[in-house]
Amino acid sequence: MNKLLKNGLGLLILGVVAYNSVYFKKLDEVKKGNSKNTLDTKVYANSFYQEKILTNTDKAIAINKLTDKLKANPDETFKQYAHSLGIGNIRYFLVKATGKITKINENTLDFDVDGKPYSIATEFIFGNAVRDASGIITMTTFENTMDFNNVSAELNEIIRNRVVPDLKKKATLGSQISLIGAVELNHKHLKLNEIEIVPVFLSDK
Amino acid sequence: MKRKLTYFLIFLLFFGFSNCKTKQADTSPKKVAVIISTLNNPWFVVLAEAASAKAKELGYEAKIFDSQNNTALETDHFDNAIASGYDAVLFNPTDADGSVVNVKKAKAAGIPVFCIDREVNTADAATSQILSDNYSGCVSIGKYFVETMNKKGKYVELLGLVGDNNTWNRSKGFHSVVDKFPELKMVAQQSADFDRNKGLEVMESILQAHPDITAVFCGNDAMAMGAFQALISSGKANQVKVFGFDGADDVLSSIKSKKISATCLQFPKLMAQTAAIFADEYFKGKLEFPKKMPVAVELVTQKNIADYETPNTKL
Repeated sequence: MNKLLKNGLGLLILGVVAYNSVYFKKLDEVKKGNSKNTLDTKVYANSFYQEKILTNTDKAIAINKLTDKLKANPDETFKQYAHSLGIGNIRYFLVKATGKITKINENTLDFDVDGKPYSIATEFIFGNAVRDASGIITMTTFENTMDFNNVSAELNEIIRNRVVPDLKKKATLGSQISLIGAVELNHKHLKLNEIEIVPVFLSDK
Repeated sequence: MKRKLTYFLIFLLFFGFSNCKTKQADTSPKKVAVIISTLNNPWFVVLAEAASAKAKELGYEAKIFDSQNNTALETDHFDNAIASGYDAVLFNPTDADGSVVNVKKAKAAGIPVFCIDREVNTADAATSQILSDNYSGCVSIGKYFVETMNKKGKYVELLGLVGDNNTWNRSKGFHSVVDKFPELKMVAQQSADFDRNKGLEVMESILQAHPDITAVFCGNDAMAMGAFQALISSGKANQVKVFGFDGADDVLSSIKSKKISATCLQFPKLMAQTAAIFADEYFKGKLEFPKKMPVAVELVTQKNIADYETPNTKL
């Protein structure tokens, strides 16, 4: 009887240990567990766009002036005009431009600014260009990695929902467009013939 | 009188020596411990050596400790570093949660910790965490993925270690783009632990269930190479596009020979050197550092591979 009790107890303990040693979790739950956000990024992005980006558009450099400066002295131009939250070769510029729409493509618009060709993104509005180009945002604002990623995503959502539809409406073939935009460039592998402007704000002039 | 003189001389000698010792302590260089998750992987060897070399170049004594992917051993290294009077730790953690206690222990002992490449899940323990911008890198790879897939098709995703933050930052960055295109359908998402052999095995089993996929996104290059091997064995290497992450040499060569579509190049040396520079600034009195410092990663495709063929592109 005593032996039976001992074996039973042993089995019970073994069962409890085994039950608590192995557990299964859905990948979705793990994903949720990894997103420990502390900031309401939607609200933050909205106020950042309205109160910081739109009120600082005078900091934008004319795009042709920027490309001329980059050709003449890339290091100094990056130092003076480029911004980024992080470190590395990828940097962002806030630009302004007035030009003509020369072609309407599926994902972009061909844009001629005083004889120099650029393209304006209308489909792939992703990345950190809008967040970083103005140079106003700083890393100290964020404690959480996902927060500064989500701020980028929310800013891009604003551009996608508010700026791009308006741009597409105005951008008929041969029409004149004035805009403030953000541009991503690689300092080490600079390609001035592939500049794509992410529209930030459509201006009257 | 003679005895008094002897005592006086002994006192002088003692005082003289102890004074010498104090002076020596003041002038000796500060010590930096470089504690790395594992030295079994060339990626982390580069990280360790770059951190150590930069610390030495800045005038400090540096020693590398290998945690062998074992948090217990990592704890021993931290105990050792604290007891031996190290002044800063340049740290590549073995586990985002399991390593928190070690960072906190060092902080309590007044030793700043600068995390490199991998983060710890606590906002206030490490002085700064210098990390690849995995999310943004995978946003750019996601964008390229959508473009090359013409916005439609079935694909699979091979995840890295499920407990690793890098795994999810990469996956989230990729999906933040790809999920906006409803005709791109993910038919399977499985972990292959950042491992080449597991990447091969997982891909083989996925191909049996989903022979009609046209792309695979892998959370690192080792899994991408494993997946590519499985595609060769099944005769589907030309049908399925492979996307990786890291910028490993074999994947860069495979991009050049048009076997792999794209990867994201990380900069381990830049991260390690930045950590050493931060430690130097800390010693010189700087106290405010960004809690997280993202290091940009760069998209490498068949179009721009020529830019990344020279050895110094990884600096």
